[in-house]
Amino acid sequence: MKKFFRNKKVLTIFVVIIAILSVLSITVRMRNRRDTPLFIQKMGNDTVTVITQIVNWPLNLVTGGASNVQSLLNTQEENDHLKKQIDDLGQTKARNNSLEAENDQLKSALKLKNSLTDYDIINGSVISRAPDTWSDLLIIDQGSRAGVKKNMAVMCDGGLIGRILEVSATSSKVELITSTDKSANRFSVEARSSKDKMVHGIISVNGDDQLTFTQVVDGRKLKKGTKVYTSGMGGRSPKGLLVGTVQKTTRDTYGLSDVIQIKPAGNLNDPSIVSVIRRKVED
Amino acid sequence: MNVLRRWYVALALLGAVVLDGICAYRFQGVLFHGFGSAACWFTVVGIVLIGLCDDQNIDNVWLSLGIGIIADVFYLGFIGIYTVIFPLICYAAEKIARFLPEVFISRLFVALVAYLLVDIYVFLVSNAIGVIKASIIDLVKSFVPSLIVCLIIFLITYAFWVWLVEKYPFLDKRTPY
Repeated sequence: MKKFFRNKKVLTIFVVIIAILSVLSITVRMRNRRDTPLFIQKMGNDTVTVITQIVNWPLNLVTGGASNVQSLLNTQEENDHLKKQIDDLGQTKARNNSLEAENDQLKSALKLKNSLTDYDIINGSVISRAPDTWSDLLIIDQGSRAGVKKNMAVMCDGGLIGRILEVSATSSKVELITSTDKSANRFSVEARSSKDKMVHGIISVNGDDQLTFTQVVDGRKLKKGTKVYTSGMGGRSPKGLLVGTVQKTTRDTYGLSDVIQIKPAGNLNDPSIVSVIRRKVED
Repeated sequence: MNVLRRWYVALALLGAVVLDGICAYRFQGVLFHGFGSAACWFTVVGIVLIGLCDDQNIDNVWLSLGIGIIADVFYLGFIGIYTVIFPLICYAAEKIARFLPEVFISRLFVALVAYLLVDIYVFLVSNAIGVIKASIIDLVKSFVPSLIVCLIIFLITYAFWVWLVEKYPFLDKRTPY
C-alpha cells in the first residue's frame, strides 16, 4: 500500500479515475432529478441550438424542396383517398362537437375542472440527435419558453414516442420510449380487454429492444391488435395517448405476470415533426 | 483577423460537433435501424487528424476537452463521456504521430481504431452508469456499420482537416501571417 501511495503516476491516474466517476454520477443524478438544468448548461444548450438551426436552415430548404416534389407526384392518389373520407369526416366532426359541448355541460354541472384527458399540444421539429449508437435522444426546437416541461409526453404521427428529459429555453431533449435507461420514468398504460375490462401496466423495453406492456396480471385477455393507451397515472402524461397495438403475449421469466409485446404506433424510426403534450391537470 | 485565425481549428471542431447531431438526425433511418446501429462522429475523425497533423501542440488536448464538454452537455445532458475520451484520443494521436509515417493510409488506420475505441468506451461507461442496457452482441454488431461510417467521414473530411491544421494550427504561437 505504501508503494502505491509513493508512485505519483499511479496515484494521479487513480485520482483522475475517481474524479471522472464522481462527475459522471453527480451529473447523471442531476439530469434525472432536477426539473431544469444548471444555468451554464442551459446557456451551452441554447448556443449550440442556435448554431444547429443556422446549419439546418439551408438543409431544410433542400430537403423541403425534394419532399414538395414528392408530395406533388402523390397528389392525385391522395386526393382520391381524401374524397372518400370527407363524408365521414363531416359527420364525425358534428358528433364530436355535440359530444364536446355535452361533456363541458356535464363537467360544469358536476363542478369538475380539467380531467386527465385534457391537454394542449406544443408542436416542434427535431433539429438534432445524439450521434452515438446507444442513446435514443432527440433534440427538438421547443423549450421552456414554449411551455415545455420535464417528463411531458411526446408524440409523432399519432403515437407516443417518448418523454421530455431535459428542458432549456429554446430546446429540449426527448428520450425515446425504446430507451433502455434504467432510471427513465416509465409510462403507465391501459388497454380494454375482450371482456370489456381495463388492464393496467407499464411500458418498458425487453432484451430484444421490443416495446413491452409489463406488470400485467391478466394480459391473456388482450387480443392481438388491441390498442394500448396511456392511463394518465403518474408523471405528466395525460390519459388516452395511443402507445401502440398488442402483437404477442408471453409470460415473464418468473412466470408471475404477462409480458405483452407492443407494436409502437408512433414513428420511432424517422421522427421529424413532434407534438409535446401538455396535460392541463397539474401534478 | 489574425487572432481569429488561431481559433479556426476550434471553430471547425465546434462545427463538427453540430454536424454530428444533424447527420445523425438526417440519416437516422439508415444509421440506427439497419442490421446494426452506427455512430456518426465527424468530431472523432477531426480530433484524430488534428492530433496526427499537429503532434507538437499540447493545446489541442485542451481544445478536445472543451469540445468534449460541449458535446456531453448538448447531446447527453451529463459530463464524463466525450469529456474524457476526446482529449484521450487526441493525446494518443499526438503520441502515435511520432512513430507513424505521414501518409493517408496510416492516418486512416488510426482513425478507424480511434472510432472503435470511442464506440467501446461510450458503450462501457453508459452501461456501467445505467444510462443504457445493451449486450456485447449489440456492441459487436455496431462495429462494421460504424467503421463504414468512419471511412466515409474520413474520405470526405481528410483533405479539409489536413489543410486547416497545417495552415492554421490551433493557438499557433509563431509570428502572425
